[in-house]
Amino acid sequence: SHTKPHLVHVGHLTGHQYDVIVVGGGHAGTEAAAAAARVGAETLLITQKIHTIGALSCNPSLGGVGKGQLVKEVDALDGLCGRAGDWAGIHFSILNRRKGPAVWGPRAQLDRQRYRDFIQSELLSTPRLTMVEGSVEELLVTEPNPEEPGHHRVTGIRLANGSHAISARSVVLTTGTFLSGSLFVGQTTSPGGRIGDAPSSAGLSHTLRERLGLRTGRLRTGTPPRIVKDSVDLSLAKLHLPDSHPTPFSFLNTHTHCKPEEQLPCYLTFTTPGVERVVRESLQLNCHIQQDTKGPRYCPSIESRVLRFPGRSHQVWLEPEGVTSDLLYPQGLSMTMPPDIQLRLIREIPPMRRAEIHTPGYGVQYDFVCPTQLSPALQVKSTQGLFLAGQINGTTGYEEAAAQGLWAGANAARSALSMPTVTLSRTESYIGVLIDDLVSRGVTEPYRMFTSRAEFRTSLRPDNADLRLTPKGFEEVGCVSSVRYQESLRVRNSLQDALTALQALFLSTSSWKKKLPSVPISETKSTLLTGLDLLQYNDVTFEMLASAFPESLSSFMEFAQRLKIEAVYKPHCDLNKKEIERIQREENMSLPQDIDYFSLPVSLSDEVREILDRVRPSTLGAATRLEGITPAAVVNLLNYVRVTEKKKETHRNQRQQEAQRDEELCANSASLPQ
Amino acid sequence: MAGFTQRLPPPRTALLRSITDPRSTEVLDRGLVLWFPAPRSFSGEDSVEFHIHGGPAVVTAVLQALGSVPGLRPAEAGEFTRRAFQAGKLGLTEVEGLGDLIHAETEAQRRQALRQMSGELGRLYQDWSDRLKRCLAHVEAFIDFSEDELIEDGVLNRVDVSVSDLQAEIERHLKDERRGERLRSGVQVVIAGATNAGKSSLLNKLCQRPAAIVSPIAGTTRDVVETALDLGGFPVLLSDTAGLRDSSDLVEREGVRRARERVEQADLTLVVVDSAHLPSEVDRAAAFLREHLRSVLPDTDRCLLVLNKADLLPEKQRQKLDTELRGVSGLPAVRLISCQTNEGLKAFLTVLHSSVKTLCGDPLFGAPTLTQARHRAHLQRCAAALAQYQRYRDTDLALAAEGVRLAVTSLGRITGRVGAEEILDIIFKDFCIGK
Repeated sequence: SHTKPHLVHVGHLTGHQYDVIVVGGGHAGTEAAAAAARVGAETLLITQKIHTIGALSCNPSLGGVGKGQLVKEVDALDGLCGRAGDWAGIHFSILNRRKGPAVWGPRAQLDRQRYRDFIQSELLSTPRLTMVEGSVEELLVTEPNPEEPGHHRVTGIRLANGSHAISARSVVLTTGTFLSGSLFVGQTTSPGGRIGDAPSSAGLSHTLRERLGLRTGRLRTGTPPRIVKDSVDLSLAKLHLPDSHPTPFSFLNTHTHCKPEEQLPCYLTFTTPGVERVVRESLQLNCHIQQDTKGPRYCPSIESRVLRFPGRSHQVWLEPEGVTSDLLYPQGLSMTMPPDIQLRLIREIPPMRRAEIHTPGYGVQYDFVCPTQLSPALQVKSTQGLFLAGQINGTTGYEEAAAQGLWAGANAARSALSMPTVTLSRTESYIGVLIDDLVSRGVTEPYRMFTSRAEFRTSLRPDNADLRLTPKGFEEVGCVSSVRYQESLRVRNSLQDALTALQALFLSTSSWKKKLPSVPISETKSTLLTGLDLLQYNDVTFEMLASAFPESLSSFMEFAQRLKIEAVYKPHCDLNKKEIERIQREENMSLPQDIDYFSLPVSLSDEVREILDRVRPSTLGAATRLEGITPAAVVNLLNYVRVTEKKKETHRNQRQQEAQRDEELCANSASLPQ
Repeated sequence: MAGFTQRLPPPRTALLRSITDPRSTEVLDRGLVLWFPAPRSFSGEDSVEFHIHGGPAVVTAVLQALGSVPGLRPAEAGEFTRRAFQAGKLGLTEVEGLGDLIHAETEAQRRQALRQMSGELGRLYQDWSDRLKRCLAHVEAFIDFSEDELIEDGVLNRVDVSVSDLQAEIERHLKDERRGERLRSGVQVVIAGATNAGKSSLLNKLCQRPAAIVSPIAGTTRDVVETALDLGGFPVLLSDTAGLRDSSDLVEREGVRRARERVEQADLTLVVVDSAHLPSEVDRAAAFLREHLRSVLPDTDRCLLVLNKADLLPEKQRQKLDTELRGVSGLPAVRLISCQTNEGLKAFLTVLHSSVKTLCGDPLFGAPTLTQARHRAHLQRCAAALAQYQRYRDTDLALAAEGVRLAVTSLGRITGRVGAEEILDIIFKDFCIGK
């Protein structure tokens, strides 16, 4: 099943005009290129090495708590990573299984080779998408219009080794850790973004900083050494088995490529006091750890962990790297000390007493562009046509990168094809939460998704990502195929019908007791209960109701689990709805980007003016969430959104009336999130 | 409430109705009820107006009854305006005017909150808020991290105990007959100024009894002396404060600190100046007063300038100051009085009365009853949300956490907003996650 992607020669590209150029072939870049092409743009993906497209640079896994939600949403928008995960997964489990469906974390260990193969063959079979190997030397932009100082427009890129200029109307940069990247092992430092790859040219970061005047910051991350599997005594670690029935990430898949019984286990072990001793003894040999650049708080190096929480035992997961791989990935042991000391350190952990290191761990420091300079479409506010996604925006993680890549790619295509850019609200998706946090608050450390970041977590569940996003992705964005769209409509209608059927079952408590003798239904309740009410009971499953009322419910068995979740969460989602509507109204009120907040003739304090000028919120909603913005300031800002609102008003009123009519029509039936 | 059990009155027609509490069915008041079906209302939505008698007890009772109706909550500052704007009901100038009103309202609320926050009540709310935030952080840590990291067993059990303690404490507080709250109602008028300007004499004059010790020795008043009085029908809480000066006396320094705190929380400040210290030329006198005000007050919006000891000035200068200082820009209302001879007192009382009346008559004035009713509604919501935690604790932690989140948000409306980042900070501080 391994398809070798063919190489397009650079010489064939000169003079060619692309709609979208994507720079980088990681999680952000591949999603961006595929999404741009799906929207209808002639797209070119440029990467240093074609065969590393889709490579998992760090951990061999996808999803998890918060991150799994992002994978489901990327899939709902027809992205690649969910289906790639289903193809490449070798150990599936739903994390947080006992904590409630809103915070379930679908996760899989991946076979690195299979993941890369899937992504590459998907991209090769994507119409309108071309891939080329090369290193981008320069971003081509227009001179700013004298009337708008500092505002540029992207015209294309120039490759290194030769003066080939390739023109495009939009460019998406997904350079990961390669922007002024440096690698650290022990006391040695070398330029680069990933071990084994050439550093990217200095020209690109020069253009961003000097030419476009973008503010950048520096972050760090790291990766653990890879361990030779045969050298580890796994009998000394705790066996951790996958779910016996793997759950696919993708809404289009009913099962995973890997058979349940073919899944591989993980192993759990713990650090010892010896580990802490080795870290302390080698601190002066460890450049990376001495730097004060901000690293991630939640995927910390072993050095950070033992220094911050001394005298404790820390978890280390030993994860498989693939079906045929003879390596193990020790999650939790990211380290940057010299290789001989890395070996000493891992040998302090019982199962690895005699372990051998295949590739040492290392640290990376890299530049990111302060993301408050981006619009919610992930476009650089001061440069028309330039989009950024992934670690370049200060995030960490495959899923965060994929989500941004998809959204930046779709918008880059829309912009190139002269369609308006689109935004996702934090009230409808984790992707919206991610992007809103980035562009309106910025980052001070690598940003990772958590479920606690989403205010409307009970509505933004992994199970309903398709209902929330697929119709919008088809109707408003254009990044969803009609096959997937039709499927989402079928699901939506079936769920709607099933909920209606459940509400139509309207019985007294005594009748319910007769129908479901095993369920403790309180007799004191003399009221009538619907099937939907019953389904909210802990001990009632949809299967039980369907066997009691086969004629009306058995046709919905396919959705048994989703219906149970819908029933339990419905009252809470209904409560959220009002607040969500309020926020969405305010997010629809956009603030012009060229306002001079200092000369605005309204009563705003200097402090408020400064905040607004620094952040330049795109919408009134974003302004409301900024720290230090008073209610009076928000009301005073209404003056300036009105202009943009007026134009839309008639259109919106019409839409609202239609929506109201629809609402009235289904007022008596349960409704699902749109 | 009125109309819930009966048919709705015809739109836009004022009807006299009994207003009853839906829980106790007790009649709270008889008043006018008006309803405005959408879209012909201020905010373009269905609206109802209750015109009730203005006493604090009635207002509080009606607000509490409304707060107990599911789905109703107090509007946030500026919310009506925003909704009206969104419905296309407001023009540019109207928005501008309302922005200023909301500013005034939030200012009044801020002062009100400051007043309560610096007291015992404030410490109580802050303590609840801190404990709730910790509960939330621990539940969130358990949800977001317990699968990859070591979160000690028992984290949730400790949250269980905390949540049920908090719920019990808040419920007890809500039942507590609201003792002491009424004492706080009234316009807070603070007398401030340099030592020996005659502040205590003014207090005694105003309340017509010797509430404060008066002596010619500078620094006689060392603590805040409070008197409640009725000023032409309006409740006023008058405070006399220590004279503002640098002192080496520890007790007096504390008195000065308290005086400044009072001024900060005041609705109206009476700045008393010894007119014998004024330069005789009007321009220089005005400059002196402006300088003096700056040393006493952060802004001069809500203050009256009282030039005491007018009897010590020559007649000619007295008249000149009295007429010419009134029109000087950058100065608040100025009145010359003498607590010794009662000269000018009557005219001063008229000005004071009208200022207090404006403060009370302003519908947006942060009347303590309104603020307290708002607090009460938020606390009720907070307690109900904690019950949700208990209900879902064992079956669905996401829904249980939602209860704690709601509780934090409700309390945050009193003590200040709590963001996701703050919760994450507590998580990283308390757990062995990350560096």
